[in-house]
Amino acid sequence: MEILANFAQGLSIVLQPENLMYCFIGVFLGTFIGVLPGIGSLAAIAMILPLSFYLDPTSALVMIAGVYYGAEYGGSIASILMNIPGTPAASITCIDGYPLAKKGRAGVALFSTAIASFGGGMIGMLVMAVLAPSLAQLALSFGPPDYFAVILLGLVAASAVSNGGALKGITMVVLGLMLGSIGIDLTTGDQRFTMGIPELRDGIHIVIVAMGLFGVSELIASIRDNKKGSATQSIDYNDFYPSKSEWKSLFSPILRGGAIGSFFGALPGTGQTIAAAIAYAVEKRISPQKKKFGTGVLPAVAVPEAANNSATQTAFIPTLTLGVPGSPPMALVIGALMIHGITPGPRLLTEAPDMFWGLIASFLIGNIMLLILNIPLIGIWVRLLQIPYKYMYPTIIVLICMGVYSLNNNVFDIWLTLIIGAIGYVMRLYKFEPAPLLIGFVLGPLMEEHLRRSMLLSRGDAMVFFERPISATLIAITVGILAFTAYKSISNYRRFKTSSSQLTK
Amino acid sequence: MSLQNEKIDAVECSNTVSDPSVWFGATGGIILFIVSIIFIVGGIGLGLGSPFRLGTGAFPFITGMILGALSLAICFYELRGDGLASTPDWIGFCAICSALAVFALTAEKLGLVPAAFLTVFVASLPDRSLSLVGKIILGSCVGAVCWILFIELLNLPFKPFVGL
Repeated sequence: MEILANFAQGLSIVLQPENLMYCFIGVFLGTFIGVLPGIGSLAAIAMILPLSFYLDPTSALVMIAGVYYGAEYGGSIASILMNIPGTPAASITCIDGYPLAKKGRAGVALFSTAIASFGGGMIGMLVMAVLAPSLAQLALSFGPPDYFAVILLGLVAASAVSNGGALKGITMVVLGLMLGSIGIDLTTGDQRFTMGIPELRDGIHIVIVAMGLFGVSELIASIRDNKKGSATQSIDYNDFYPSKSEWKSLFSPILRGGAIGSFFGALPGTGQTIAAAIAYAVEKRISPQKKKFGTGVLPAVAVPEAANNSATQTAFIPTLTLGVPGSPPMALVIGALMIHGITPGPRLLTEAPDMFWGLIASFLIGNIMLLILNIPLIGIWVRLLQIPYKYMYPTIIVLICMGVYSLNNNVFDIWLTLIIGAIGYVMRLYKFEPAPLLIGFVLGPLMEEHLRRSMLLSRGDAMVFFERPISATLIAITVGILAFTAYKSISNYRRFKTSSSQLTK
Repeated sequence: MSLQNEKIDAVECSNTVSDPSVWFGATGGIILFIVSIIFIVGGIGLGLGSPFRLGTGAFPFITGMILGALSLAICFYELRGDGLASTPDWIGFCAICSALAVFALTAEKLGLVPAAFLTVFVASLPDRSLSLVGKIILGSCVGAVCWILFIELLNLPFKPFVGL
């Protein structure tokens, strides 16, 4: 019952006109950017961050969260209508979404994804409301070595599943840690790697890193791909609502997708794309319509959408209770909170309950807003997809410049964004995923601080990490993940060697 | 299933092994190795401190060592030829980078409206489907919207025009 009371308290905060407005701005902009193919939720959050610094922390968090899950709703629109996933997680939705659109059932598909996203979001919200407080309770007993171990686990888990392979992922995390150490060392006050540039004294701003790595480099990558065409499908509003039997066929896939998504969303390093892929794979095995999967059936669109949206909500559990982001967008959330002077961690729930429960309640309100934006107002988004990209991307570039400039009113930041963006694009070409770098960048300073504190407490004895039960367990898991990925990549390499020697014979 | 995968892998590998990008991939490893040296040397210069009281340079030193090891692994691993993620779009790359540079150069000297106009114009240069007049119109529209949105509504400390 305590949860209900807390939830009601949160609801009263979100229903304040101001927060309601920022929640709406968040989900609207999120959907807007999510609809645009090639630009994902990370770029969307990066673009909204500078604006969020002017708000009070709760409004800022509600708005950023809205952008995050709004982008997932929007991502499915482009994938159904154009077979281009608006966000990576929506690529699973393409598999059955586009065939449905080709059959002339785009309307039903869009309706089902909106309902499924809503259902998944609500499941994720419930899981968060129930689990987060107990996890925070557990985390209250964490000491610096335990935090160090949690961060280490988060970093390794996030990089081991990176698209470009584990080795490159871990390299990017380490590079992020190093990038994060630029600026004044808070413990000693000495400058590190600032090369005498005064603008670097406070370190590189997280918005610059995120805008460069995601905004600029995604924009470059999407220019050519988007010339290919725009949505030509028109939606028949008469064929918008699923039939009674179709409604029934959606119910349990949404529940299953939501449950699978909640689980994977809360794990560090997995995130919505993996959640959606696994939920789809599971459904493909157990669905009564499994033989038709891939040809355009409604449960096959509903499942990944329910999963990715519930994962979006549960990703906040480790972020807010431990201060360790499970996914790159959550790293931005942590960065934003720290700029507001709030360090996410187990004390957040007791010290800022209004913010925590306000956020949870905003999931309900935001998802209802998205339902309205995505069902009666779907026409707006379809029309948006018909605007040629050639008008879009130059405008987005100006918005990026404005966002970066407004941080410090300094053009140096724009030059820095340009450099990071250029490096980010080249990195992408060589399959170095920039997302793990961002996680490393955000967690680097925290990791260093906990490392120093642990060493201080143990009087310089590194064994402290292996003696405490919590940190020892976490480090064991980390080593396990590392050993497994190393084993896998070495066996892949061997396989490649034998297969290539066979080819040359 | 796994057999099939192996076959596909083998075909893919045989296609990329002669690709010149293999060497570029290894170059990435070398660049990372240089970065790691900078951090290791820099870390030592800043002071490593003692295990009890870690110094300013300790964390850069440790991460530098790890990156050094990883970058060597990448040099080795890349020689198997992972290939490029996609064909590079250098025209788009130059256009976007120049657009950012133009904004950085003009925002304070000319003011927000001309800066936005020029940025849009430069960014849209590689797009042949948009005519010159179209680019000018688009630039003017974005400039005007920025003026209204950022200066009039959000009160950001920008001047719409400088020196007029």
